[in-house]
Amino acid sequence: MTQNAMTSKQRVLKLFAGEAVDRVPCFSGMGNVTTEGLKNLGHKFAAIHLDAKMMAEAAATSYKLLGIECGVVPFDLCVEAEAMGCEINVYAHSEDLLYPTIKKKLIHNEAEMEITIPTDIIRRGRVPLMVEAIGLLKNQLGEDAAVGSYVLGPFTLAGQVMELNDLLKLSFKKPDKIAKLLDQCADVIIQVAREYERAGVDYLTVREMGATSDVLSPRIFKSLILPYLKKIFAEIKVPSVLHICGKTNDIVPFMVESGATAISVDQKNDVAETRAKLGPKALIFGNYDPYNVLVAGTPELVRTTMHKCLEDGVSAVWPGCDIWPTVPPENVKAMLDEIANYRRS
Amino acid sequence: MATAEKQAELLEKLKNAVIQYDEDTAKEASNEVLAVGMNANDAIFNGLVSGMVEVGKMFEAQEYFVPELLMCADALYAGLDILKPHVQQMDLGVRGSVVIGTVEGDVHDIGKNIVKMMFDVAGFQVYDLGRDVPLDKFLEEQIRTDSDLVCLSAMMTTTMTGMKKVIDDLRKKNPNIKIMIGGAPVSQDVADKYGADGYAKDATNALKDAINMIGSLKKMKDEAEAKKAK
Repeated sequence: MTQNAMTSKQRVLKLFAGEAVDRVPCFSGMGNVTTEGLKNLGHKFAAIHLDAKMMAEAAATSYKLLGIECGVVPFDLCVEAEAMGCEINVYAHSEDLLYPTIKKKLIHNEAEMEITIPTDIIRRGRVPLMVEAIGLLKNQLGEDAAVGSYVLGPFTLAGQVMELNDLLKLSFKKPDKIAKLLDQCADVIIQVAREYERAGVDYLTVREMGATSDVLSPRIFKSLILPYLKKIFAEIKVPSVLHICGKTNDIVPFMVESGATAISVDQKNDVAETRAKLGPKALIFGNYDPYNVLVAGTPELVRTTMHKCLEDGVSAVWPGCDIWPTVPPENVKAMLDEIANYRRS
Repeated sequence: MATAEKQAELLEKLKNAVIQYDEDTAKEASNEVLAVGMNANDAIFNGLVSGMVEVGKMFEAQEYFVPELLMCADALYAGLDILKPHVQQMDLGVRGSVVIGTVEGDVHDIGKNIVKMMFDVAGFQVYDLGRDVPLDKFLEEQIRTDSDLVCLSAMMTTTMTGMKKVIDDLRKKNPNIKIMIGGAPVSQDVADKYGADGYAKDATNALKDAINMIGSLKKMKDEAEAKKAK
C-alpha cells in the first residue's frame, strides 16, 4: 500500500472506527492555529476568535499549508463559560499572541453556587458563531481532512465559571455542592456538543485538563468527576476523545471507563506503560510536547520525539496541548516525514 | 514564660494543625502561644512552617494533592495572621522585597499564591500584582518598590513566552535584579533561554524552592542568634 492510499480524513475516521489504517495519523483535537497560516491570510490573532469566517480560514491553513491532518475550531477555552454568562477578554489591544480568557466569573464565592443555566444556552455567546465556523471549515477541507472541535470537561468548565481556589477546596470539603455544579456543567457541555454535531463535526474532544493528577487525587477523579464524564460521553454520537494533560498514568483506566472512543495524554504520561495497561486495542493519542519539541526544538529533536511516541505505541500522534502558533514549518515537515516513514522496530 | 514542655507541645499542635488543615486549631494554638508568652518567630518557623515542610513532602509523595495543599495554606495563614503582629523584627542580613504575579493572558494564580505564602512567612515584603498582569506592569512595580526579586508565573505554554519580554525589560533597566520564573510549562532550558536566575517547574518545585529559601533563612536566623548568645 502506498503512503497516499488514504486521504487524511479517511485515515482519521477509520482509526476511530477501529479499522486498519495505512499509517498512524498525525492530527489533534485541540487548537492548532499557526502564525504561518495567519500571515498567509493576513488575519490578526485577536480577531480570529470573534469571526466565523476568519476562524475557519485560520483553522484550515494548518492542514492546507502545513499538512497537520485535521481542521479544528475554536482556539480558546471560553466558549461554554461565555454562554453560561461569564465575560471574556480577547485582548483586542494586543499584538502578542494572547488567547481569550475569562475576565469575569459567574460564581465568586461559595454563597453564589446556586446558579440557573439559561434555557437558550445554544443561542448565547459564541455558540452560534462556532456552528457557522464548523460549517465553513467543512467546506474548506471537504473530503481531504477531518473537522474536529472541542468542549471542556465538567470540572475544567467549573474552573472557568468559579474561582479555581474555591473549586479545589470545596471538592474536598463539600463534594455534594461541587457535584451539583458539575452536573449542570455536564448539561451545558452536552447541549453545546449536540450543536457541534449538528454542524457536522467528524469528532469531538472533551478537554478535562483541570482534573489532572498534578492537581487532584485519582480517588477524587473517580468519585467526583468520572460520573459526569460518563454522562457526557453517553450523549456524544460522533467519535470522541478525552484529553487530560499532566500526570495521568494512574487514571488512564478511568479515562477509558468514561466511554470516550479514544484517550489523549501529554508528554508526562509514560505511554509504553499505558499501552501495556490498556492493551493493544485501546485508542491512545499523544504525546509530544507541543512547545519545547515542536516549536523550540530542532528538526532532529522533533524526529526522535515522534519516533519515541510511535515506539511507545500511540494510535495517533497528538500534541499534549494546543500547538503554539509560532511553530516552524520545517519542524512540522520533520514530524510528518518521520511518521510517514516509520517502520515498527 | 511557659515550660519547655508546654512550648514543645504548642509547636507540635501548630505543626499538626497545618498538616491536618485545621484552621480552628491553628488559631487556638497561636492564641495560646501568645497567652503563655512564647516567641512568635519560634512558633511560626518551628510550628507552622515545620508543618508546611511536612505537607510539601506529602505532596511530593502524592499523599496530598492541590486541594489539601490549599487547605493547609489556609491553616498556616490562620495562625500567621495572629502571630505576625508579634514578630520581633529580626536582622537576618537580608532585607527581601519581591514583586510577584502571573503574566498577561494567564488567569491561573494558585502556584503563584503558594510561592507568595512562603515569602509572607519568611518576612519578605511582598508586592502581589495578581493574575493576568500586563507585561509592562512588572518593571513599573519593580522600579516603584525597588524590589530585589521579581517572580513571574505562567501556567500555560501559551502565556509563558510573554515572560521573555518582561525579563529582557527588567535586565535592561537593572542588570542585578534576581528573576525567578515558574509554572507548569517552564523548564530549566526555558529559564536559561529567557535569562532567568531561577525556576520552579511546578507547584511541588515552587514549594520546594520556597522552602529551601526559608530553610536558608532559618539557618541565618540560627547563626544570628548563636552570634548574639556569644
